[in-house]
Amino acid sequence: MIALAIAQQTIKEAFRRRVMWIFLIIGVFLISLGPVFGFLTPRDSQTVLRSLGLAAILLAGLFVTIVTCIYLIPAEIERRTIYTVLSKPVQRYEFVLGKFLGGFATVFINIAAMGVVFLAMIYFQERRIPAEMFKGVMLTFFQMMLLAALTIFFSTFTTPVVNFFLSFGIFMIGNLTTVTESLTTKSNPLVRGVGTLVHYLLPNFGNFNIQNSIIRPQIEIANEQVFLRNNILYAIIYSSVLLVLAILIFDRREV
Amino acid sequence: MAAAISIRGLTKKYVDVWQKQEVIAVNNLSLEVEEGEIFGFLGRNGAGKTTTIKMLLGLIFPTAGDATILGKPMGDNQVKQEIAYLPEETYFYDSMTGWDLLDFYARLFRIPEPERSRRVRMALEKVRLQPEAWKRSIRGYSKGMRQRIGIAQALINDPKLLFLDEPTSGLDPIAHAELRDIVASLKYEGKTVFLSSHQLADVEMICSRVAIIHKGKLLRTGTIKELISGERTEITVQGKELQNGMLAKLQAIVPEVHMDGEDTLRLTSDDSERVAAVIDLVRGAQGKIISIVPHKRTLEEVFVETVRKEDNTI
Ligand SMILES: Nc1ncnc2c1ncn2[C@@H]1O[C@H](COP(=O)(O)OP(=O)(O)O)[C@@H](O)[C@H]1O
Ligand SMILES: [Mg+2]
Repeated sequence: MIALAIAQQTIKEAFRRRVMWIFLIIGVFLISLGPVFGFLTPRDSQTVLRSLGLAAILLAGLFVTIVTCIYLIPAEIERRTIYTVLSKPVQRYEFVLGKFLGGFATVFINIAAMGVVFLAMIYFQERRIPAEMFKGVMLTFFQMMLLAALTIFFSTFTTPVVNFFLSFGIFMIGNLTTVTESLTTKSNPLVRGVGTLVHYLLPNFGNFNIQNSIIRPQIEIANEQVFLRNNILYAIIYSSVLLVLAILIFDRREV
Repeated sequence: MAAAISIRGLTKKYVDVWQKQEVIAVNNLSLEVEEGEIFGFLGRNGAGKTTTIKMLLGLIFPTAGDATILGKPMGDNQVKQEIAYLPEETYFYDSMTGWDLLDFYARLFRIPEPERSRRVRMALEKVRLQPEAWKRSIRGYSKGMRQRIGIAQALINDPKLLFLDEPTSGLDPIAHAELRDIVASLKYEGKTVFLSSHQLADVEMICSRVAIIHKGKLLRTGTIKELISGERTEITVQGKELQNGMLAKLQAIVPEVHMDGEDTLRLTSDDSERVAAVIDLVRGAQGKIISIVPHKRTLEEVFVETVRKEDNTI
């Protein structure tokens, strides 16, 4: 399949970018600091290791995802490699699909690498791997996959610099799920309108943060399986919509 | 012979949003390229060559007009099986080796192994890239080696029709000559080549037909023979009397008169009757004819003349 060949090429190129490695290494470094911090703080070292680790994966994952996905398509245009690819029997949708798959795989490899280090740390300290930590890493991956889809989608019509702030900004707003949700019930119609639009249109990145369930116990606990499944489905469906939109835009784009 | 490329009224306008200016990169271009010929597409920088090729490949979309490539509408995905494109100044995926790069492109044609390896090897041999370099990363390649890889990727599908955009620009003389010969050899394999270039000596050597495009407009098209036909003759004459009145008389016959020192004149004309008239006049005035040298016109002269004439009429 052509899209897979493009995806594979995309992964190779992504892993050759130094900036991605920098964020990955920072992530792994922060995670491995967990036991040290746990040792130094009077608080429960288990909680420190867990929350620091998940936060490090999220933060490093965030930068890895954005700096990688911003360039997947623009780099091909800048270096004119896209001309040689699209003048071969490659449909534009196959190219975009390949970029999405390649981007997802790159993000997956990064999160998985950090996840392995993180879970190893936990095992080292607790002699077991609690299921919720594994689920936490998994949810972070789906959150980053959604972010990757958003960033690649924007890259079909914005410059990398604009895209950086756009993706970053939307990730921030999307993380304020509780705030945007509360806006949807405000009495001022303008605030309510904008709030509803933002809440339902922008991706709800906040839903993926497992720590949130501590802040908002009312949501979490109804059923953990359903919570997980819904979030994963949400990431997949939202990303698929972005993929379709990206294809529609890229189809009309001059390269 | 059938037309490999048939272009009808192709037009591309770019609108500069900031300056509200319109650039007509390609202006109502109509052209036929026959199967099996090496067709030279000539123009200065910015003439519209690359824009035309990119439209033909469906990378950008025309403002007006259309074209068929091997009988199919331009940009058609199926026809891409049989065509190839070497863009100008491509950087390729330069952390890959030459071999891996070609393997990747071959996969885009769904060519399975072991046929794929065979094709890669053939293409690399054809462009005469030294085998030591096959498994080295492209980053360390010279410009000439990159251009060889560029042509190799264009040959990977054994195409019927190749679009080569300035393949020999910026190369050293040896690489230049070798690549030009490789392009020339494609003709003997029955391939059609659409060669964009401003290297007129190359074009004159390897192309059968050419088109001259300037500021997006097609100025001339024809075989090289047609374009450079008509000899020019350069006459050098000498005589003390030449300057008094003689100059004006000569200029009335041939406008192109150059003074070469005190008593020597150089005249050029492509009309044999005028040449004869000049000779008669000089002999009658006791002048001396130093030399009469017929010159074959070069494509470069024709090109410069054609483009200058167009610029002056605007
Ligand atoms: N994307 C673009 N936007 C605006 N103008 C362009 C664009 N691409 C090309 N042009 C203009 O179109 C003209 C033709 O360019 P091009 O086809 O690249 O010329 P050539 O390949 O013959 O050197 C030039 O004046 C160039 O500035
Ligand atoms: Mg050009």
